[in-house]
Amino acid sequence: MPAVPSARPRPLHFAAFVMNTTGHIIQGTWRRPTAHQTDFNDLEHWVGLAKTLERGKFDAIFFADVVGLYAPYRGDERKYFEAGLQVPSNDPSVLASAIAYATKDLGIAFTASILQEHPFNFARRISTLDHASKGRIAWNIVTNYLPNASRNFGLEGLTSHDERYAWADEYVDVTYKLWEGSWEEDALVQDRATGIHADYDKVHKINHEGPRYKVEGPHLVTPTPQRTPLLFQAGASEAGRTFAAKNAEAVFIVSPNLDAAARDTADIRSRAVSYGRVGEDLKFFQGLYIVPGSTEAEARRKAAELDEWIDYDGQLSHMSGAVGIDFGHEDLDTPIGELKTEGVQSIVGWIKDLVPGRPATLRDVAHYTATNSRIVGTPEQIADALARWQAAGVDGVNLVNAEIPGSYEDFVEHVVPVLQQRGLMQREYAEGTLRNKLFGRGDRLPDRHPAARYRGAFAPQPA
Amino acid sequence: MTVKKRLILNLFEMNCVSHITHGLWRLPDNNRERFNDIEYWIELAKLLESGGFDAVFLADVIGTYDVFRGSADTSIRQGLQIPNNDPALVVPAMAAVTRHLGFGITFSTTYEPPFAWARRLSTLDHLTKGRVGWNIVTSYLPNAARNFGLDGEIDHDKRYEIADEYMDVLYKLWEGSWDDDAIIADREHNVFADPARIRPIFHDGTYFKVEGPHLPSPSRQRTPVLFSATASGAGTQFAGKHTEVVFTGGPNTGFLKQTITNIRKAAVEAGRRADDVKFVTQAGVIVGRTDAEARAKRARYERLSDPEGYLAHSGLTFDPTRFPPETRLKDVVGEDGNVGRRRIFDPEQTVGEFLSSFGDLTRHALFVSGTPDVVADAIEGWLDDVGIDGINLTQYHSYDTARDFIELVAPVLRQRGRLRTEYDPDESLRDRIFGAGDRLPDRHYATRYRGGAHLPVIGQDSALPA
Repeated sequence: MPAVPSARPRPLHFAAFVMNTTGHIIQGTWRRPTAHQTDFNDLEHWVGLAKTLERGKFDAIFFADVVGLYAPYRGDERKYFEAGLQVPSNDPSVLASAIAYATKDLGIAFTASILQEHPFNFARRISTLDHASKGRIAWNIVTNYLPNASRNFGLEGLTSHDERYAWADEYVDVTYKLWEGSWEEDALVQDRATGIHADYDKVHKINHEGPRYKVEGPHLVTPTPQRTPLLFQAGASEAGRTFAAKNAEAVFIVSPNLDAAARDTADIRSRAVSYGRVGEDLKFFQGLYIVPGSTEAEARRKAAELDEWIDYDGQLSHMSGAVGIDFGHEDLDTPIGELKTEGVQSIVGWIKDLVPGRPATLRDVAHYTATNSRIVGTPEQIADALARWQAAGVDGVNLVNAEIPGSYEDFVEHVVPVLQQRGLMQREYAEGTLRNKLFGRGDRLPDRHPAARYRGAFAPQPA
Repeated sequence: MTVKKRLILNLFEMNCVSHITHGLWRLPDNNRERFNDIEYWIELAKLLESGGFDAVFLADVIGTYDVFRGSADTSIRQGLQIPNNDPALVVPAMAAVTRHLGFGITFSTTYEPPFAWARRLSTLDHLTKGRVGWNIVTSYLPNAARNFGLDGEIDHDKRYEIADEYMDVLYKLWEGSWDDDAIIADREHNVFADPARIRPIFHDGTYFKVEGPHLPSPSRQRTPVLFSATASGAGTQFAGKHTEVVFTGGPNTGFLKQTITNIRKAAVEAGRRADDVKFVTQAGVIVGRTDAEARAKRARYERLSDPEGYLAHSGLTFDPTRFPPETRLKDVVGEDGNVGRRRIFDPEQTVGEFLSSFGDLTRHALFVSGTPDVVADAIEGWLDDVGIDGINLTQYHSYDTARDFIELVAPVLRQRGRLRTEYDPDESLRDRIFGAGDRLPDRHYATRYRGGAHLPVIGQDSALPA
């Protein structure tokens, strides 16, 4: 385990990991009297949270999303409705303009699957929000791993893993062309005297033609502060890592421990270098669940109290439905290694680091989906732990909640001041767009990013 | 004495610079080019609510006007609906600073699968607590088709066929997928929602295949207030079956009256009541405290009104500025007088006469300029004689047009009992327009799916086939 570094650390970045639903990651805690996750239909719920996060100098609010039900558990989808496990759920993107208006610096990241919308419309929606937020939008690029979601969009079932990433490659390519190449920087004239609003010669069609999409253009929106939004991605698979290495500026990881984090971040950074980028072009956000207390004993008491509310059957159903293997009829004490189901190896690989020295069971899986990467302790102990994650190559934290807004209010009130004192969290926001706040080198993508090749690419060539 | 008809008052907007009054963005203090800023929409929403507007009606297109002179040159120079931004996304910010204002959002049924849009509208209806309307369009720009992978436009009537199935999918999701009592939120027994009251839709049609269930829980209105704008044959039939508020247009009041008659008839044929459909028409109002003030204002607007923008907006397949003015229109476009986008003009008129209507602010079926009393007289005539129920107010200047109406016209209309004095608290948009609750009336086609009726029966053991 890497030691706590002695040099004064850089600030980590913090995002609040939320979803426009009742039961996101920690199942069952919505029942606590102080929990308000069930208010997710209300605008005030989200605006209030955004203001709390901005008060605590969080870099961003990060919305997860799925566009279908998880695969059957115990034979059907009953459990997901009963637990409120990501259903009902609402579209996260439409919250962004209200959050943008209520805040000034908070980044607004949301997940959108390539499945749900044509890239022409999607590019326009992102640009609209990047204007409305003055450059604070991030897009978490996802494919789709839920068969029901595929069937909600007219497909018979899941698209194969590699084909999904080929699809994603073309999807982002279309959006890059629209965002970076369609409008030249000085195309907008807005001269009241002459009545010329925009310069026709500086607005270009993209004429994209690929295996899946054919898009003429031009982009309907003028260049926004960031043009391309900050690009988030979370993919642990081979194809996912390659995609992240090529495209992502922020990578969301859920490494089971520090060694794995060191391995994962180094691997994706080195792949990025092979695509002509540099390691620092990517920021890694580790998903963490933090329970603070004024003493270690109090923190442990709080964690134990939270644990009593956790719906472990819900936790197992989430894992089960996500990987598409129905564990619902298995005995919880079955060692997972004994299950001869295709696809189970990824879970075996994940859990074996967490349960050393004995065969991991389904009960362990249920337990660790809620408590893996959980830090319980005093603010000082939390700071120490975060410093170790940083030393392992992590740049930021995607903070999981047991309660909204309670988990974040608690964190802002008790942990943030200590982190700021230790230099592990920013005291003030940097100027400019979300990209500039995170990287400090301007509002736009660096030239070595693949999207940048479309700058000026559609202008007529000089004769 | 019968109760006076009360005006439905909407502002006609679009998330762009030059929407329908081309050239006027150049007016001093016009805020049009602030449309990228969320503050523009916040200020507008607050203003409209302060004046008792029912809704802001947001138009939209998803392509450029590039037919006229064979390119988008004129449109881009004029700011004619390009650049333009997504309309739905500015609504939540406006909703956050208002409590009553409604939102009419345009979205096309032609190019996108219905599942994500159904979810987005439900999300908006939740966030606004029932203040959302959807203006259903099928898109008419060839460039829009080419932005979504097609080589050209889908035939008009076929677009309505697609739209009809699209609506069917949405009704199944909105009205049929979740029962009203599906959310239990029983903390003690750890049951948030009851799976027995939620069902997939298993839609399998000609154009769409959608499994479901709907992802959001039932919103206040379930189906948002349904707007559409049409006068074509397929459009009339569509409106008769689906639309609650028809956005009507046309060259003159006779045409408007005919459209109203036709669509009411189509509604009755679809099993609805004639008054289940309301009619809202684009209207131009230029008002001043005195007649001289109104005339001066109109002259200022007319001076900047730019015919070029209107020519490009009309999607003309020919350039009338290239013909001698005395040329007969029929010698240019043919005997049917079709000048493009299914617009029919008198083929006997000259090109000069034809051209003179472009950029003329007064050449609308509903236009009035004058003192508040003159304007109020005209509006009463539109309500009682033409038979419309409301107006989408044309903006010449943002925010002067809305402000003038609020300061000068609204008080007179209130005196005359034509405009409500204040909002009823906590009212949905549908309830405000029809006064019969938040949901669609039982005789609307959509309601056939309530409680899961007309949806495939589901096995008891499984909500979905594995």
